[in-house]
Amino acid sequence: MSSLAMASPPALLVLVFVGVPVIIGIAYTLGYTGGLNSIATTLAVQVYPASGWMPTTAAYAAVFADPRFQGDLVVTVWVTLSTVVAVLVLAWAIALYARLTGGWLGRFLSGVAVIPLFIPIVIGAYAIRTFYLNTGFLVSVGKLVGIDFPTLSYHTPGIVIGQIWASLPFAVLLISSGLAAVPDALIDAARDTGASRARAVWSVMIPMTTVPTVIVATFTGVGVMGSFTVPYMIGPAAPNMLGVTLQQTYASYARPQNAQVMAVVLFVLAAGIGALYVWANARQARQSAVAL
Amino acid sequence: MTGTLPIEPAALETAPEPADTPPRPRRTLGSIITRAVAGFFAILLLVFILGPLLWMAIAAFAKRWKYPNMLPQAWTLDWWGRVLGGADLLPALWLSVKFAVLATLLACVICLPAAYALGRANFPGRRVILLGLFATNAFPKMGLFTSIATLFYAMQLMNTQLGVIIVQMLGTVVTMTWIPAAAFASVSPSLIEAARDAGAGKLRVFFQITMRLAAPGIAVAVILAFLACFDEAQGTYLIGAPTYLTMPTKMYQLVTNYPQQAAAVFALVLCVPSVLLLLLVRRHVMGGHLAEGFQLK
Repeated sequence: MSSLAMASPPALLVLVFVGVPVIIGIAYTLGYTGGLNSIATTLAVQVYPASGWMPTTAAYAAVFADPRFQGDLVVTVWVTLSTVVAVLVLAWAIALYARLTGGWLGRFLSGVAVIPLFIPIVIGAYAIRTFYLNTGFLVSVGKLVGIDFPTLSYHTPGIVIGQIWASLPFAVLLISSGLAAVPDALIDAARDTGASRARAVWSVMIPMTTVPTVIVATFTGVGVMGSFTVPYMIGPAAPNMLGVTLQQTYASYARPQNAQVMAVVLFVLAAGIGALYVWANARQARQSAVAL
Repeated sequence: MTGTLPIEPAALETAPEPADTPPRPRRTLGSIITRAVAGFFAILLLVFILGPLLWMAIAAFAKRWKYPNMLPQAWTLDWWGRVLGGADLLPALWLSVKFAVLATLLACVICLPAAYALGRANFPGRRVILLGLFATNAFPKMGLFTSIATLFYAMQLMNTQLGVIIVQMLGTVVTMTWIPAAAFASVSPSLIEAARDAGAGKLRVFFQITMRLAAPGIAVAVILAFLACFDEAQGTYLIGAPTYLTMPTKMYQLVTNYPQQAAAVFALVLCVPSVLLLLLVRRHVMGGHLAEGFQLK
């Protein structure tokens, strides 16, 4: 059997259950409510149909005019950016410390950071909500020592905390593995020629770990952007992240077309991030071609 | 440690080691400070990561727990009896296991041959397929799920078991293809050639060399895929609820309708399979199989 035939089934699966939905979804937002979209349309309380073949942007106009959507969009972008930055800083600090010292404390730090991987996200999010509630650990400790800590659950910062918690393991694993691939000889060589430790990190280790860092940033960004569980469990009723509003608009308010507009907005945001990922991998491919 | 004296390490390495003076006094001070900072950071990280889980675990045994106490005033095991003996747990658990097993098996059948081809051969279209599979991860999940739901309405898969299985399986495609592909790719061609030269048939080489060497990577992928299905909540909720409620989707309801202690017990029970299975493959996941699987080659 040819390799192409063997490799095709998952590609076909993705084509049918990712490619087709995305395309008919985009068509739906432009007013094409018939065809594969017709059953969703009959279940909807309201749709903005195209007149004949002329697409309409009425659904976009309606969604973008909605103040709830505007608030949600701001929260989504804010949470995504803060989480990506925080996760990168934390993961780098942990992985770098472990790589440079090689001691038990470094191993302990990365071991702890990977724990959320072992816990279903529904559970993690629920536990975090209780922990930062007005009767939770943080506020209780504050009360005991006389500091007024804010209640983070049901507020946007709580969502960021939940997202960092959930995203950290993947980031630490990838960046650690990237740093492990930097040969000791290179670091020693830099140090022998007079580079300080900080300089060795900056000029040798960071450039050699660009690809894993970009992978972490893109996966974290796209993951956070489209998440439902963490903002649903920890976030406020409104404004919350688009993932929650999207689900409610689709399932509870029965406005699949409006939900699809929000989905397309997320797709566009993610497309920018995805381009970065492909660029990083292409760069890696070139580098390894040179090395070979 | 602070890096203010660039000449220091080189000088130390060339200098003959004095027998009884402690070497590098500056570095000792620096390393003590670094360690203290790292230690403080470790405690913060420990509270950040484990604190919520511990807090929830304590709640599962609480009879009365009044703010702002660090521990409950009265303890009980009643909630365990109620949840474990209740009518909610077993059907949800059974559904979760059934969906996750079927979705993982289906993913094996569809993805493993592909992983073998992608890992061992170079053919036109290979890169397109690798990148195309990544499309499942390139779309923000909730946006993708509502798009799928619209298609599922048309295909009459909404609120069906097959619909849930497909959605769960979609989440495993990248894991089940990329990680085994990396494992197959790392089997050295010279080993295979040697086996062929020694007279082993194609099938024998495949089962006794290729499969055996790739097995750890495949096992990691299968276990990660199973857990991803078992823990999948967002898509399962949109496609399956309210007809098919698995354990994670049941959690969405529990947290609003149940007493906190009952939800905590349910949550702890739900953690058991994940923790056990991941401990099994912990060494491999930490050892880089996961990381390797995320880089296109």
